[in-house]
Amino acid sequence: MSVSRRGFIKLLGAGTACLGLSKLGVDLAPAQAYAAGMKIEGAREVISICPFCSCGCNTLVHVKDGRIINVEGDPDYPISAGGLCAKGAALKSLHTSSERLTRPLYRAPGSAKWVEKDWNWMLDTIARKVKDQRDKDFTLKNADGVEVNRLESVFSLGSSQMSNEECAVAHQSLRSLGIVHMDHQARV
Amino acid sequence: MPKAILIDTTRCTACRGCQVGCKEWKNYPAVATKQRGTHQNPPDLGPYNVKLVRFSEHQDGDSVKWLFFPDACRHCLEVPCKSGAELEDSIIVDKETGAVIYTEKTAKENFETIKSSCPYDIPRLDPKTRRIVKCDMCIDRVKKNLLPMCVKSCAMGAMTFGERSDILKIAAERLVAVQKENPKAQLCDMENVNVIYLVAEAPSKYHKFAVADASDAMKGDPGMTRQQMLAGKFAPLRKLAGPAQG
Amino acid sequence: MTNHYTDIGNADAILIIGSNAAEHHPISFRWVLKAKEKGATVIHVDPKFSRTSARSSYHVPLRSGTDIAFMGGMCKYILDNKKYFAEYVNEYTNASFLVGEKYSFKDGLFSGFDPAKKKYDKSQWAFEKDEKGLVKRDKTFQHPRCVINVLKKHYERYNLDLVSQVTGVSKENLVKVYESFAATGRPDKAGTIMYALGWTQHTVGVQNIRLAGIVQLLLGNFGVAGGGINALRGEPNVQGSTDHALLYGYIPGYHNAPYANWKTLEEYQKGNTPKTADPMSVNWWGNRPKYIVSLLKGWFGENATKDNDFCYGLLPKLDVGMDCSHLFLFDRMYQGRIKGGFIFGHNPCQSFPNSNKVRKAFDKLDWLVVGEVFHNETTDNFRRPGADPRKCKTEVFLLPSAYRAEKEGTISNSGRWHMWHYKAIEPIGQCKSMGWMFVEIMKRVRALYAKEGGALPEAILKHDIPSEFNAEEMNRRINGYFTRDVEIGGKQYKKGQLVPGFPLLQADGSTSSLCWVYCGGYTEAEGNLSKRRDLTQTPMQAKIGLYPKFAWAWPMNRRVLYNRASVDKNGKPYNPAKAVIEWDGKAWQGDVPDGGQPPMAQKGGVYPFIMTTDGHGQLYGPGREDGPLPEHYEPAETPLAQNPFSPQMNNPCMKKVSGSEYDVLCKPADPRFPIVLTTYSMTEHWCSGSETRNGNGLLEAEPQQYIEMSPQLAAERGIKNGDVVEVESLRGKVQAVAMVTIRIKPFQVMGKTVHLVGMPFAFGWTKPKCGDATNRLTTSVGDPNTTIPEYKACMVNVRKATKVTEL
Repeated sequence: MSVSRRGFIKLLGAGTACLGLSKLGVDLAPAQAYAAGMKIEGAREVISICPFCSCGCNTLVHVKDGRIINVEGDPDYPISAGGLCAKGAALKSLHTSSERLTRPLYRAPGSAKWVEKDWNWMLDTIARKVKDQRDKDFTLKNADGVEVNRLESVFSLGSSQMSNEECAVAHQSLRSLGIVHMDHQARV
Repeated sequence: MPKAILIDTTRCTACRGCQVGCKEWKNYPAVATKQRGTHQNPPDLGPYNVKLVRFSEHQDGDSVKWLFFPDACRHCLEVPCKSGAELEDSIIVDKETGAVIYTEKTAKENFETIKSSCPYDIPRLDPKTRRIVKCDMCIDRVKKNLLPMCVKSCAMGAMTFGERSDILKIAAERLVAVQKENPKAQLCDMENVNVIYLVAEAPSKYHKFAVADASDAMKGDPGMTRQQMLAGKFAPLRKLAGPAQG
Repeated sequence: MTNHYTDIGNADAILIIGSNAAEHHPISFRWVLKAKEKGATVIHVDPKFSRTSARSSYHVPLRSGTDIAFMGGMCKYILDNKKYFAEYVNEYTNASFLVGEKYSFKDGLFSGFDPAKKKYDKSQWAFEKDEKGLVKRDKTFQHPRCVINVLKKHYERYNLDLVSQVTGVSKENLVKVYESFAATGRPDKAGTIMYALGWTQHTVGVQNIRLAGIVQLLLGNFGVAGGGINALRGEPNVQGSTDHALLYGYIPGYHNAPYANWKTLEEYQKGNTPKTADPMSVNWWGNRPKYIVSLLKGWFGENATKDNDFCYGLLPKLDVGMDCSHLFLFDRMYQGRIKGGFIFGHNPCQSFPNSNKVRKAFDKLDWLVVGEVFHNETTDNFRRPGADPRKCKTEVFLLPSAYRAEKEGTISNSGRWHMWHYKAIEPIGQCKSMGWMFVEIMKRVRALYAKEGGALPEAILKHDIPSEFNAEEMNRRINGYFTRDVEIGGKQYKKGQLVPGFPLLQADGSTSSLCWVYCGGYTEAEGNLSKRRDLTQTPMQAKIGLYPKFAWAWPMNRRVLYNRASVDKNGKPYNPAKAVIEWDGKAWQGDVPDGGQPPMAQKGGVYPFIMTTDGHGQLYGPGREDGPLPEHYEPAETPLAQNPFSPQMNNPCMKKVSGSEYDVLCKPADPRFPIVLTTYSMTEHWCSGSETRNGNGLLEAEPQQYIEMSPQLAAERGIKNGDVVEVESLRGKVQAVAMVTIRIKPFQVMGKTVHLVGMPFAFGWTKPKCGDATNRLTTSVGDPNTTIPEYKACMVNVRKATKVTEL
């Protein structure tokens, strides 16, 4: 892996070592002696990608004690050269927002409230819903008597927020259930 | 050797990566704002907004000019706000970088005095800590050979950070290039500041304080030149200016 | 994108139309500015003056929904003034092809229209073929039915007067744009078109893009550095999610979904595999059967055999003509025909058109599973303003999702760069990745079917779905494996080895691949190529900023599509200063060529447009639902009483739903709704805003719903900057803060003043006092090819609000 860190302090004078290290996930601390007070000192640096528009700006995520303490642009990404727009620049506060959903929540029919549930209960209950609905509504043949093997009463929407790997497993799962009402942000 | 930043507004798209990036690096809390009929928000610099992109629109004959001005401390070479300070170490200048730093001791300074001594209307008061706040050139990052966050965030090439001597050269070259299409282009107060704005139109079209506003100071001493004023050779007379909006 | 982001920097002219790139794809503008500083003309054509306009060479305001009139005028200008790249047009496009005698165009309709079904019989548009099955050509362009003459005739009506009257663009501005952009119709110049949702979200969306394709073919701008059509995809991984076809009508890799009329695999392959009689046409889609069988092997593993049709029969089939896109989904949901479903990373109650209907439709569901990062207008729809939760029967399962830096995997940017992102931290709280959620749900569903049986259990159980979600392993599955030991072209491949690239995929079941376009991205020799970070380039590559070793691009790491059209028939670059590929006598240098065959004039040479059946760029394209050539129709709601181009007011094939009282359109030139509304995204908020409204500096920078309007309209309505106004369409009302700005100008259209207003769609009720969905105003109509809704043009009225309730 060759990482040049173009864009870091281009003009700050030759011979000065850069903070960014050549390898992913290496502790920054031993590389250089730092004065106290710079918050990403000693942080682990991980390459991620901004989850907003399709420019796909690579980011550097700085992690300390298991927490994200900073996100900034990756200067090696040829398209952005380390820049980020307002949305990308806000990634640290978005990841660490107190508004994040952190537990599975259930809303019962007619209720105005969310109730916390454990994952197993959620997944088991969802699986049962899916199976019962599929068994009830599955269409083996269409009006012309042709085999169609589809489930029209269950839909799926999303998502361009998923990775390619997630999209692949999602597509396969949905087709295996026979779902045909399947769409996502490509039309939004 | 001081550092400098060239802010080339002809490349700024007002994406506000700098405004938000600054806030994130500083861990500043969100400020409650309202839509007031402009994209400029918050309306002005504040204790939790030391970088603010100002928007102003102008009809120029048949065409519209929408001007963007990423405003922040100019890190003056001679520091007028320091001359307004009572304490020795409330406002310090880092020798290595030229960064003007407000320390926790600014809480003991008279805010109005400090504010009115700034010809760019930069200092703001943090009501919680009583400290006076402004951009510190990301001194923590710069000391570790990292770009200031605003410069780092800018993907448009509108912000360049480096040795002052290098930046002056780059600024002069860019001015020549920009003047081909924009004869009114200029570098704002280049001799006096380390954060140099390249503007394509009259500076006042961007922001009331795009260039040093010495009007109040000079009212106090009509014999004073703006140069003298910038060199800090005046008593902080400039009255508190109302927040500029665009 | 045919090209990629850094390549925009190579352009001599950039036409940004149907896009506000600086605001919605901010980083793309780095390359626009680089091109501009090297002398490129940057032209922004858009209803409003935006941050893009501010940094362009000039801005041309255009009435929303009139892009075809505008670009049709450019087409006429290029043809009339012979500004096209003659050699390219003659050799590489279908300009010389003869259109069959059945083709005609009259009164706004092409031949073959069935008014009852609102559909065309496309066979009437076919080319004329000789006895060998080859398309007849007239390379002298004399024949009246050769494509270039059909094109000339079609755009004869698109003169400056009429185009100006319809679009609201002054004649002077029209000529200015046409001249600057047509100047790239030379071998040594390149022009690119950047578009986004401003083009797709119209009832003529696909034809907008078709017309850009026509213009770029005429100017010889495909395949070259700084050229092409660059679709700025609207979402983080919408390129990848489209490649993997999270869409009802497709299966991964741009193949039609199975339909009931293709009962067997053989029928499917026959119905979907184009044939050509021309030996010089590569006709790449002739390989489709290999990709389909490899996909079935990827899905069904050992269970897929030649004897059982590779399990094709188990796949769900659509009925012919069945539209299951979201417009129709919500129509059926509103009618109670949909019982439950899944939503992952999506906020339809805010982002889908006609949201009053969408929000009510959700009340009809029995159950709903949502995977999300934050609460949004969809997760909490049961408690929306004005709704009584007690009356909503829906059980909602809200699954907390890991955010981007909490998971690993790949995304594909708009330039098809396939890039790996690493996991920085474990997901916070009990958050999980969506891949994990799918696998865990399916594991349980499969266990139930294994234990209890039920409806066609084998359709589920025969699938080879992984039992744990692992992004690396999925990435390998997407690339594909050899499923048995084989010898291809004298080379041995072992069972379990990764397939080195899609040219080696087979139709006999010996290979698997979950998406053929990604095959070659994960190899035995080099591993996971999406992780590459190498910035080195050859001097030839460096001249155009190709970065071929940074990550990997589909297909086969080709960075500029159709690059064989950037060279002459002998393989010499048309523009040597910015060569994409070059034939050195033995091999191609530069980018990965669009097929490795020698140049066209040499032995074994082929036509450059390898993805089209005939090998030529399609000026005339007989494949679309609404015609072989783009024609101007007014949006479904329009300020005009008549379409000045023809008696046909709207796209005759546009998709419409009618299942609710909200599915209404106002009359043409309806005096109750005289103002055109266009809607858009924002720089500071992401789409529906459900994520970014939680961003620290973002909500403070853009806190509340607004409406941009001209000072003239504001004066007419007694509205002052900052006033709260009420915007009303036939479908709903929205409150917004008036942003009175000179950046919006009234249009002069057919002798009358037409006002236009613009609103973002990022503000929703879950953040108190920030406003609510703009999409309560928009219409449930869509493009006939894609069913993408017409978000960009509908008719509204605006008045000062008497009581402020939403802000």
